[in-house]
Amino acid sequence: MSRRSALLTLTITLAVVYGSLILTQLSGTTPLLGLDLQGGFSVVLNAPEGTDADVLDQAVQIMRRRIEALGNVQEPEIAVVGNRSIEVQLPGVTDRDRALAAVGTTGRLEFRPVRDISPIPGISPLFFQAPPEDPTTTTTTTAPEGTTTTDGGATTTTGDATTTTVASTTTTGEATTTTTPGTTTTLDPKSYIVLPEGVTWCDEVDQAGCVDFATGLTPNPAPGLDAFLVSSPEDGEIAYHVAPARLLGSDLTSAQAQFEQQGGGPTGGGLGRWVVLLNFSSEGSAKFTAVTRELARYGCSIPYPECDPTSPPGDPRRQFAIVLDRVVVSAPQVNADVDPAVGIPGNSAVITLGDGGNQQEEARNLSVVLRYGSLPVSFEQATVQSVSATLGSDSLDAGLIAGFAGLALVAMAMILYYRALGLVNVIGLTVFGSLVLVIFSLLGEWQGVTLTLAGVAGLIVAVGITADSYIVYFERIKEEVHRGRSLRSAIDHAFTRAFRTILTADTVSFAGAVLLFFLAIGAVKGFALALLIATVCDVLVAVFFTRPAVALLARTRVFGEGGRLSVRGAVGAAKEEATA
Amino acid sequence: MSLLRDLYRGETQFDFVGNRRKWFAISGAIILVSALSLVIRQFNLSVDFQGGTLVEVENPAGASVTEVRDTVTALGFGNVRVQTTSGGDGIRVQTGQLAPADEDRLVEAVATLAGVDPNDASRQTVGPTFGDQITQSAIRALIVFLIVVAVYITWRLEFKMAIAGLVALGHDLLFTAGIYSLIGFEVSPATVIAILTILGYSLYDTVVVFDKVQENVRERGDRHTFSGIVNMSMNQVFMRSVNTSFTTLLPIGSLLFVGSFLLGATTLREFALALFVGVATGTYSSIFLAAPILSVWKEREEHWQRVRRRVERRGGEEDFAPRIPAATPETTAQAIQESGAVPRPPRRRKKRR
Repeated sequence: MSRRSALLTLTITLAVVYGSLILTQLSGTTPLLGLDLQGGFSVVLNAPEGTDADVLDQAVQIMRRRIEALGNVQEPEIAVVGNRSIEVQLPGVTDRDRALAAVGTTGRLEFRPVRDISPIPGISPLFFQAPPEDPTTTTTTTAPEGTTTTDGGATTTTGDATTTTVASTTTTGEATTTTTPGTTTTLDPKSYIVLPEGVTWCDEVDQAGCVDFATGLTPNPAPGLDAFLVSSPEDGEIAYHVAPARLLGSDLTSAQAQFEQQGGGPTGGGLGRWVVLLNFSSEGSAKFTAVTRELARYGCSIPYPECDPTSPPGDPRRQFAIVLDRVVVSAPQVNADVDPAVGIPGNSAVITLGDGGNQQEEARNLSVVLRYGSLPVSFEQATVQSVSATLGSDSLDAGLIAGFAGLALVAMAMILYYRALGLVNVIGLTVFGSLVLVIFSLLGEWQGVTLTLAGVAGLIVAVGITADSYIVYFERIKEEVHRGRSLRSAIDHAFTRAFRTILTADTVSFAGAVLLFFLAIGAVKGFALALLIATVCDVLVAVFFTRPAVALLARTRVFGEGGRLSVRGAVGAAKEEATA
Repeated sequence: MSLLRDLYRGETQFDFVGNRRKWFAISGAIILVSALSLVIRQFNLSVDFQGGTLVEVENPAGASVTEVRDTVTALGFGNVRVQTTSGGDGIRVQTGQLAPADEDRLVEAVATLAGVDPNDASRQTVGPTFGDQITQSAIRALIVFLIVVAVYITWRLEFKMAIAGLVALGHDLLFTAGIYSLIGFEVSPATVIAILTILGYSLYDTVVVFDKVQENVRERGDRHTFSGIVNMSMNQVFMRSVNTSFTTLLPIGSLLFVGSFLLGATTLREFALALFVGVATGTYSSIFLAAPILSVWKEREEHWQRVRRRVERRGGEEDFAPRIPAATPETTAQAIQESGAVPRPPRRRKKRR
């Protein structure tokens, strides 16, 4: 390795490593601590043997949604581990019971007739209520937050608000406050929006069925009240206004995804569609017939006598929403040929999926949701753990102290033994340490990867592996020098040979770490990740730091060919000189 | 002094292969004792493997172990284990499986005694199957790991080295497990992790040794018997192995020390202990077990028997081969460098016999 390229590589390496260390530290990006280091709650849930991987993934998504609904959870980590377990980690969570309920129980499934659908996805239908007499506010009321209107707008809405007191008692309170905004020009949407009967705005306590003022949605729907709900982001966040629940998940006995031949004949040959077949309990089928009888009156395309003549075709009220944990999973429409006088009779019904998309998958997902309420399988708690914050910080201290003490000891031993080369090793260990710290900081920031106690232990072990790479290299230099090479040539030659060994050995460690990471669960995973990162860093440090550093060192007069403390002093003379 | 200097310079002439019966006997005895202990004494399994509840609190009130045990037993919980942690600053209570309500009662009682808020207690509830799950996943990881590594070493070095390495690995695992069983240390998931690490470490060490052997075979293959080459390689890497073990044991030792005496982070201690034993035995087995096994096995190959006959004809002292290169090191090295007449390596794969 030439002097210039060695200098260049070394400078770049040091600049990159220390630069990124300083950058991450300045920007406050530090490794995300696992809950065994900062306290928190974790639970491992087991699905029955032989559960499908898709089903587990689905459960993870549902759990994540529910955990987010708990509020004030930082970086929840929910992941499938092994072939039938889900690990949930909630750092900083102290409310055991609520957390357990959120991840462990099946959700609530409701069938609610649709009253209205918002024309713009994501925005509650409530915000489309315009004060009926004022044409200027029609545009402004589409915004979810309070909007500015003219004084005229304010006065009309006050008038409107007083009429709403008939429907809702709580709006009167708000109505009085809106008499003042005439001066502030901000109009409180609470003043003119008409809430359905029994529904209130949420205050500090999220009572069941209340509507959140900022979003216009119902955070915690009550089965007996109207609700404002959206479909999941994948389904476009369509906002619905739905009526009280008419059927619950318990009214359903089974739901299956099926492929239905079109035209009825067996010669369909690929023509057909995916449907979900529902079966109701006897009580459920009566309820279902009643609901469909009502729904079929709206938006008729076949003029049955019972049809509502005022309802236009495509009226959303012909749909019923399947709601799971406050998310509208699907909102199928009652078929055009259903007579409002009869409804859908019998104990079974078919939901036909819309065009486009992967119908088979949609049908299967819908059937799972319908069948299991929420969590597609029932889970058993394998382990529940809560770590107090104090114990966590104690462990962190212990890990840090042990880590630094270990590093210091290794550094001392290396300097004693290899002198100037040992110095390279010590700086190399700081490069290694910085690199690992930066990687964990970034992974924490981007991927939510946490550093656990087992991870800290893995890193401490990795210090040994890193030191070993140096030892292999340094011993190799010694050997080459003893064979009669000059120091410079020995250093280059030794690196090529030693690197081969280091690479082979690191590959074995790496393979072990990767396998552990993918096959193991719990703490073992954190350990494997740390080992994995450390092994990669080890190779990087060897190529980009150790090699140029040693090459440069050997070229300097003092460190290279100097006295007992130099590289030469450490590796000894070539054999001829020694014996001469 | 001169031994130290020789060690430092990698010029020792220990006869590793010649004394193999001694090493095999030692290893055999170790394995036998470990296996017996595993069968008779078995493991002292932690709550993670048995299922149950573990409560850990700080102990500012200074409640004694007997006090806590009496209180907990009086509440009607059987099978209770009480320990101090963090060098006496904490209390740890372990019971069998409890209903959630009972668990809350237990936590409250222990926390009151220790003088802390029940919400500050760390607790863990483990179902009876969790331990099996950890063990199963660990065993599965182990098997896949062994296969992958065997394939890798076969590809990178050779098949017989892979097997010898795995034998050494098995020895290390058995030995570590045996120590745990014999002394009665608690086996926790941290122990399982540590044992899996030993896998990596033991193989890492063996690979470094075999890499050297292979290199020497390539460079001076036809001039020495295989045992001679192994001996030579062992002497060359001996210093490196000792150094590496030492530097690896330093941080692990500090982990063990800090974990046991200073801060009582139990997980760290459990972890460090298995590692300490494993790393030490890993170094031993790669030099004293893996290499001799390999040399015995390879000596049976036709190629190496021919080499041995030839070396004997020339009157070389076959088992002490290291003396030959040590006597004329420059000539060997220079012959290789200058003439470029590197002896042909033995063929990797032999025809089916």
